[in-house]
Amino acid sequence: MIGLIILGTFITVIIIAFSAVIEKRVSHSIILFMGVGLGSVVLFFVFKAPDVALTEAVIGSGISSLIFLMALKHLGEKA
Amino acid sequence: MSIKRSLSTLTLSGFTLSALLILSFINILLQNVATNIERAGDGLLKLNSSEGVANVVTTVVVYFRGFDTLGEIAVLFIASLGVGLMLERNTECTIKVQSNFMLQSASKLLFPIIIIFGLYVMIYGHLSPGGGFQGGVLVASAVLLLLISNKDLEVPHAVISALETLAGVSYVLIGLMGLLLSDVFLFNFLSPNIADFGLLLSGGIIPIVYIIVGIKVGSEMGFIVQNLLKRSDDV
Repeated sequence: MIGLIILGTFITVIIIAFSAVIEKRVSHSIILFMGVGLGSVVLFFVFKAPDVALTEAVIGSGISSLIFLMALKHLGEKA
Repeated sequence: MSIKRSLSTLTLSGFTLSALLILSFINILLQNVATNIERAGDGLLKLNSSEGVANVVTTVVVYFRGFDTLGEIAVLFIASLGVGLMLERNTECTIKVQSNFMLQSASKLLFPIIIIFGLYVMIYGHLSPGGGFQGGVLVASAVLLLLISNKDLEVPHAVISALETLAGVSYVLIGLMGLLLSDVFLFNFLSPNIADFGLLLSGGIIPIVYIIVGIKVGSEMGFIVQNLLKRSDDV
C-alpha cells in the first residue's frame, strides 16, 4: 500500500515537472516548479530523510521560487 | 516545420527514455528500501555516538565535513555579493511592492510564528531534523513577509553586514581554536560527554557552530531578498 502511494507521488511529480518545462508562461512554470518541490518533500520524508525534506521545503520550493518570481518581475516581461 | 517535428520526436524519445529509467529506478528503490537504509543508519549511529549528538546528519555536516560547510557559506556569500553588485546601479526597474489589507494583517499574525519556528529549527539542529541552513532561510523568509507587507520598512544595511561579519569571523575563529588545541581544524575542543546525549547542551561546539551558520545564512538570504525587493523602487 505504501509502495503504491510512493509510486503515485513519483508519477505525479514527474508529470508536474514535464508540464513545468512545457508551459509557455514563465510565472506559471515557476509555480509548477514549486509543486515539484512539494511532491519531492513527501518522497524525501517517506524515504527517511527528514533533513533533506525540510531543506527542500524551505529552500527548494519556498524561497528559491520566490527569488525566481522577483527576478522575473525585475526582467519586466509580460510573462 | 522540420525543426518543430524533430523537436516533438526528441521530446517523445526523451519521455520514453526517462520513463524507462524512472521505472527501473523505482523497481530498485522499492525492492531494497528497508535493508539498505537500516544498514547505513547503523554504521552512522556508531560513528555518531562518539560526539554525543542525536542527529546524525548534523554530525556529518558540521563536524566530519565542517570545512565543506565553511565553503558552502562562502559560496552563498559570493551569490549575495553578486546580487548586490548587479542591482546597485540598476535604476530602470519600476516594480513597486503593493500590499493589501489581507497581506498586512496576515503578516502580523504569521511573522512571530515563522520566526519562532526558524529559531527552533536553528537551535535544535543537533537534536531534531533541521539546522542552521534551514533555520536561517526560515528567518529570512519571515523578514521577506514583513518586507512585502510594509512598504517603508527596510532592514538597515549596517545590521546585516555586522551580523554576517561576526558570524563568519567567529566560525573561522572556532576552527582555528581547534587547530591550536589539537592539530585538527574545527576540533571539538569542548569535549562532548556521551551522558548528555539528547540534551540541548550537548555535543560540544557542534550546536554553537550550527547557530553561527544559521545567523550567517539568514543575513545573507535577507540581504538577497531585500536587494531584489527594495533596490528597484528607490529610484
